[in-house]
Amino acid sequence: MKGIKILFAIAILVLALAPVGAQDVTTVSMWFSEGSTLDCWGPLMLEFNDVDPSIQLEIVPQADTWNVTRTAVAGGGGPDIVRTPGPSFVYEMAQAGLILPMDTFAESMGWGDFFFDWALDLGLVDGQLYSLSDELETLVMYYNVEVFEENGWTPPDTMEELNALAEEVEAAGLTVFSHGNASWRPTNEHFVGEYWTQVAGPHKVYQALSGQIPWTDESLVEAIELLDAHMQAGWYGGGVDLYFTNDGVYRRTSLAEGSAAMNIEGSWAIRGTVDYFGQSGMTWDWVPVPSHDGTDYYTIGMGNTSSINANSPHPEAAAQFLTWYFSPETQGKMLTNCLKGPAPVAIGEDVLGALDPRIARIYAELSDASANDRYGYTTWTFWPPKSDVYIYEEIERVWTGEITAMEYSEGLQELFAEELAAGDIPPIPTR
Amino acid sequence: MAVLTQQKPTTVFEKLNDETWRRKFLRNVLIPWLFIAPLLILHIYVVTVPAVQGIYMSMTDWKGVGQNANFIGLENYRELFFEDETFGKAFGNNMIWMIFFLTVPFVLALFAATMLSQIKRGGMLYRSILFIPYVLASVVTITIWKNLLNPQRGIGAALDNMLGLENTFGIAYLGRPESALMSIAFIDNWHFWGFLMILFLAAMQAIPPVLYDAAKIDGANRWDEFRHVTLPGIRPVVLFMFMMVAIWSFLAFDYIFLSTQGGPGGASEVIATLLYKNAFFRFEAGYGAAMGVVISIFAGFIIMIFVTLRRRGWDI
Repeated sequence: MKGIKILFAIAILVLALAPVGAQDVTTVSMWFSEGSTLDCWGPLMLEFNDVDPSIQLEIVPQADTWNVTRTAVAGGGGPDIVRTPGPSFVYEMAQAGLILPMDTFAESMGWGDFFFDWALDLGLVDGQLYSLSDELETLVMYYNVEVFEENGWTPPDTMEELNALAEEVEAAGLTVFSHGNASWRPTNEHFVGEYWTQVAGPHKVYQALSGQIPWTDESLVEAIELLDAHMQAGWYGGGVDLYFTNDGVYRRTSLAEGSAAMNIEGSWAIRGTVDYFGQSGMTWDWVPVPSHDGTDYYTIGMGNTSSINANSPHPEAAAQFLTWYFSPETQGKMLTNCLKGPAPVAIGEDVLGALDPRIARIYAELSDASANDRYGYTTWTFWPPKSDVYIYEEIERVWTGEITAMEYSEGLQELFAEELAAGDIPPIPTR
Repeated sequence: MAVLTQQKPTTVFEKLNDETWRRKFLRNVLIPWLFIAPLLILHIYVVTVPAVQGIYMSMTDWKGVGQNANFIGLENYRELFFEDETFGKAFGNNMIWMIFFLTVPFVLALFAATMLSQIKRGGMLYRSILFIPYVLASVVTITIWKNLLNPQRGIGAALDNMLGLENTFGIAYLGRPESALMSIAFIDNWHFWGFLMILFLAAMQAIPPVLYDAAKIDGANRWDEFRHVTLPGIRPVVLFMFMMVAIWSFLAFDYIFLSTQGGPGGASEVIATLLYKNAFFRFEAGYGAAMGVVISIFAGFIIMIFVTLRRRGWDI
């Protein structure tokens, strides 16, 4: 009888305490793409749960994260943290009232203290902060060190030097750039954006993006013509038709094994580059993409963005997670452990010092370029959606000889003017 | 003599008071409808309502995100038919696709089914082998064929190596505008024609053998038997599949999107891939919905042709 009384008393105690404990814990949900990225990022992000036990992060793996998120959020559900593929997607969601303005959180939680000044501006829609950029990106020119040393080549600084080098590379029986778009067709836009920036210059691109000059401006058209000439010469993957069938594996292996000399690719490719070169036993390095006048320009891009769902029952807790996630300490840890491109926050010198110097140099140079007016624009970050799709879809018609560079530029100008007039242009850092 | 006559009830009240009428109504009207009601409600919910919504959305500027959708009448259709060059090109590719699939797999399937119908032993093994590609997921089929058609490591390259040739067979079939669409059609057909063959074979086996015996007595050779016995015997299946394949041709999406995403330079673009890009990449979901409606109209048009032929006495 006594035993029953004790059990009864324990049961009452448990029942009395359990709801109190449950009420104190707030769960913040986040949907994330399945795969190797989550395998590395996931455990690091879940370290947040040790910071404040009253807020727990829940990561839900999804096969097609963006489309699932978009559908769920539009239907009044979805995760607390809404991740989008880029600013143009944020714009549409903010216009539809599906995500929250975060200005009050930014102020109360001091986001301006660790984000670069211009970086927070990228998340503005109609003057309010709706998103935080998750991954700072740029494009550089990777090269195979052994191939260059064996042939006595030096990495080019200018387009003229690149021309001369490309002839030597081809004479040596190698492919100039290990490229192809069979795995990801929007790869095309990387080169369009780079050629605009490196040939015409970022100031011209800025003028066109802000509507001061048209995309049919002579220097911008010349950039497209030069890209087409290089494509027709077979620099990209060995020929136009091969470019359309070369996949991601080809791109990595041909550079890492030395059958191609160089590769213009994003900072997001570092992890793959390290892996493939590790397997081949050769050495990689990088230089800025050659420009018309030899200036080191770096295009700025944003990989993903994070926002707070307008339907989130606890936006404050979601904001607290974002504060932790975007802190230089967490971003530094993710860069060191997973080679994740960091958010545009001030990463400590000690973190960069512990990295492979080649990797650290990319972010140091990008930071220097953005502070010294040597930055350009990536198309997926700063162009409105219709123009962006046009850029990577229609450039193939130039490469297959169906239209000219001027016709391509005229088509872009027509579409861009419509989107500019409709106010659909993502925020562009003023220069 | 008094004549007893029972007058038929005419008003609603009279009908409800009439036992016979009530029973008839219950048996012939109410109970059948009650049986079909769950399915009907489900159909209305998952097919009719979205279809009507889709038609409405095709007349809006909906971006596919949120609820903001302004009614713009037939503007999307005007742009589709009179301004959008890519739509015309995609439609043309759909027609090429349809012509290909209304000929090549039908000829292959008819030939193989006729041959297999003669085999008495081991026929099941052949049928299974020819049918296996049909049960493979499209993503698997595409992955296999992208590797086989790869100009550097595919069968063409291997053939070139074997014959001591250079870039003769090892070419980028999927990377050339002139061959991309037909290469994807070839891959899709590799997966599809076995299914047609099985259908035709099943239909052939349902033809009474006595008809073949009669034909032989009349002096028919193999070709005559095929022409005057086999083909008329399987005609309903062939024509039904003609209709289905014609409709499916306008829904072609997965093989194209997984292999070239419509490229290079729009060479393999079809309406469904264009629709997807407009709805999900360009934020023009209303415009995409208009494309979807146009596809449905084409499908309806094809069905209408077959219904008309049936009404005219065709055995379909």
